[in-house]
Amino acid sequence: MMRSNWWKFLGVAIIMYTFIAGILVPLKPGIVAVSPSSTRTGETLEMEIQGYNSNFKRGEDSLRAWLKLDDQHALRAVQLKAIDDQNLQLTFQIPPYLPARERIKDMTLIVDNSIDGASFLPSAVFVTQDSIDPDMGTQVWRNEAIVDLNETAGITFPFRNILKETIRNTYFHVALWLSMVLIFIGSVVQSVKYLRTNNIEADLKALSLTRVGTIFGFLGLITGAIWAKNTWGAYWSWDVKQNMTAIALLIYCAYFVLRSSFEDQEKSARLGAVYNIFAFAALIPLIYVIPRLTDSLHPGAGGNPALGGEDLDNTMRMVFYPAVIGWTLFGLWMASLWYRADRLENQLLER
Amino acid sequence: MINKKIFSILLLHLLAITTFGQSSDADFMSSIGKIYVVVAVIAAVFVGIVIFLVYLDRKLTKLEDQIKEHD
Repeated sequence: MMRSNWWKFLGVAIIMYTFIAGILVPLKPGIVAVSPSSTRTGETLEMEIQGYNSNFKRGEDSLRAWLKLDDQHALRAVQLKAIDDQNLQLTFQIPPYLPARERIKDMTLIVDNSIDGASFLPSAVFVTQDSIDPDMGTQVWRNEAIVDLNETAGITFPFRNILKETIRNTYFHVALWLSMVLIFIGSVVQSVKYLRTNNIEADLKALSLTRVGTIFGFLGLITGAIWAKNTWGAYWSWDVKQNMTAIALLIYCAYFVLRSSFEDQEKSARLGAVYNIFAFAALIPLIYVIPRLTDSLHPGAGGNPALGGEDLDNTMRMVFYPAVIGWTLFGLWMASLWYRADRLENQLLER
Repeated sequence: MINKKIFSILLLHLLAITTFGQSSDADFMSSIGKIYVVVAVIAAVFVGIVIFLVYLDRKLTKLEDQIKEHD
């Protein structure tokens, strides 16, 4: 919390970059819906495909489609008709027997053309077998290997069917949480410093950092609720991740209550510093460990990887990690303003 | 005091806009690939920063008053 300003401008510049890149980079083309999504063996399946950001008409010459049963078995569309860029009609001949034992088997739809690249929709079609005979199924299956899939042209963010454009919230919601943790770490460092040196300024720094961290935490909770409303269906699903983060933030709220309940500044500072260290020690298991141990709707829980796989690819990393740094610097700026006001107040009281 | 009035009017407007956007029209939020969800999230972060500024503003006003009294 120095007088030099370069890091403030750096923080704002990085946030500007994440706003521009995070909003302007388009989503990869994807498949939104298919109808019908179920059929029986031996039937001719005529499907209507609805695409997102897709170029079915423009890329009609190179258009190919498959239904994939498993790694060895794929069925190629016998007829393709692009109505426009977003709508596509596909015809498949479902064989009378499938090389599978299940009565109902799901198949993945793959659509590929030279502009959009390959789009996947897992469990697009459910096929009900009238009679089950896997050996017969293997015999009648005419496999069409999925080869020479195209790459998407240009820079894109991944298309996830439930998220769609809201995958961009990663740069605002998720980045705020990570910078909150970094700011709380800074606060703990200042609290430890206060306990070792008894320098009241270190305690004021810890107080301001905790304030900003708590603001970021509540913003993370609110933005998460808005996101949840439009993906999970409710603002608050009593999900373990939501509950634990709410508890963690309440622990931090108690920090401010605790501090303000002492008239004597030194007492308030000392107890506040000790409490802050314990609050941080509770925060990490509450938001990062417990949700991982049980099932949760939230990524990063119940064996569901966060910060990896299709939730965060390398293109997204180029925006996400700068966003974390940008919001952390911005938070430090906010904290430094409040700290300077606090210090002025202290100096006035001493006069 | 005028500041406070203006702020509360602004806040009311904001609340009205956001509740209108969310409750009265769920289709609106899910249109254009749910892009308005991203808009709502960014707006929420902005409101949070504004609330921080309001608190800081009040604190500095208090300090200025104290300095005035001191002189």
